[in-house]
Amino acid sequence: MTQGAAPLSTTRIWDPFVRLFHWALVLLIAFSWWSGEQHDMDRHRLSGYTILALVVFRVLWGFFGPRTARFSSFVRGPGAVMAYVRSMGSRIAHASNGHNPLGGWSVVAMLAVILAMVVAGLFSVDVDGLESGPLADYVSFEAGRSAAEIHETVFNVILALVAIHVAAVLFYLVWKRQNLIRAMVTGKRPLGAGEVPGEVAGDMRWSVVAAVACLAVGAAVAWAVSTGFRF
Amino acid sequence: MTRTKFFANAMLGASAAAALVAAASSATAAPSASATVAARHAGFKKMGGAMKVLKDQLASGSIDKAAAVAAAKTIATVGKGQPKLFPAGTGPSSGVKTDALPAIWTNKAGFAAQWSKFQVEADKMVAVAATGDATRIGTQFKALGGACGSCHKQFRADD
Repeated sequence: MTQGAAPLSTTRIWDPFVRLFHWALVLLIAFSWWSGEQHDMDRHRLSGYTILALVVFRVLWGFFGPRTARFSSFVRGPGAVMAYVRSMGSRIAHASNGHNPLGGWSVVAMLAVILAMVVAGLFSVDVDGLESGPLADYVSFEAGRSAAEIHETVFNVILALVAIHVAAVLFYLVWKRQNLIRAMVTGKRPLGAGEVPGEVAGDMRWSVVAAVACLAVGAAVAWAVSTGFRF
Repeated sequence: MTRTKFFANAMLGASAAAALVAAASSATAAPSASATVAARHAGFKKMGGAMKVLKDQLASGSIDKAAAVAAAKTIATVGKGQPKLFPAGTGPSSGVKTDALPAIWTNKAGFAAQWSKFQVEADKMVAVAATGDATRIGTQFKALGGACGSCHKQFRADD
């Protein structure tokens, strides 16, 4: 909330929840992979429920969060995306207040694929019938096995999306000399030449009540799913 | 057209006959490695499906005694036949896709010991399922799952 070391040279572009969501997701995806490899299924499931809560929160935050968090601000049509792609080679930094038109679609893709990953996991059964997701008893052994196979395949899609994401961030860092990583940590980006602080970021205000409500819904959905809808 | 059809029928008949012969002779002559691997895969799959029946009942909290006993019996009886489906030459070096580790054949005593441990727990599962008591079934499910898992850890490739 308080301004950092260079108060007049930065502008806020990411709210704390978007940043927390982003870095929590990084840690949880890594932890989910690791616990899965270790066959530590209790922790693997917990990690998955937390991811589900976060994704549900993020989708809601996409409607009730501040401007840069909203889907309406960053999900753009093919025209805007193509125009952006054509301008990508330019070394002139594109001072974006939020997701750029291409990055916006990468957010949508990431959320969709992670949701698919979680849903497949919820119905998954291991080959021994020993471990399963909380909704596996609603489906047959064969269907549960197929879900587990999808769960494995979709992980590769996540890895591919992560690779593209990291490559894009590095591209910005090296080619455009724009540090998107720092912005995702601090929530601020440096002001461009001629930009006046306070006028560029747009409305970054968010409501505590909305944030708590979105978090509560996310947690409630994850909890309900974790019990297999048996309360 | 008719000749093709006739040919197709003849082929179908021949393959059916071959399958029958293979099935009939499996008790006496050694079946191919791939047939043996397929048979043990099918067995494990049946056991896995039966484990899921028990697990689902535990998850839902309502025990269907008859179904639980049937599932436990499937595990115990199919499991009893499984150790015989690991003859020499059906490991990963046979070229058939299998997660069976070479240790099965280099540590035969250890493998057999695991199977007898499994059988004890599987038989106990049948008895416990007959009580219809969810708590006892849950405890025995863990014991049986532990027996499965400890053998898999030692003798099955982790993919």
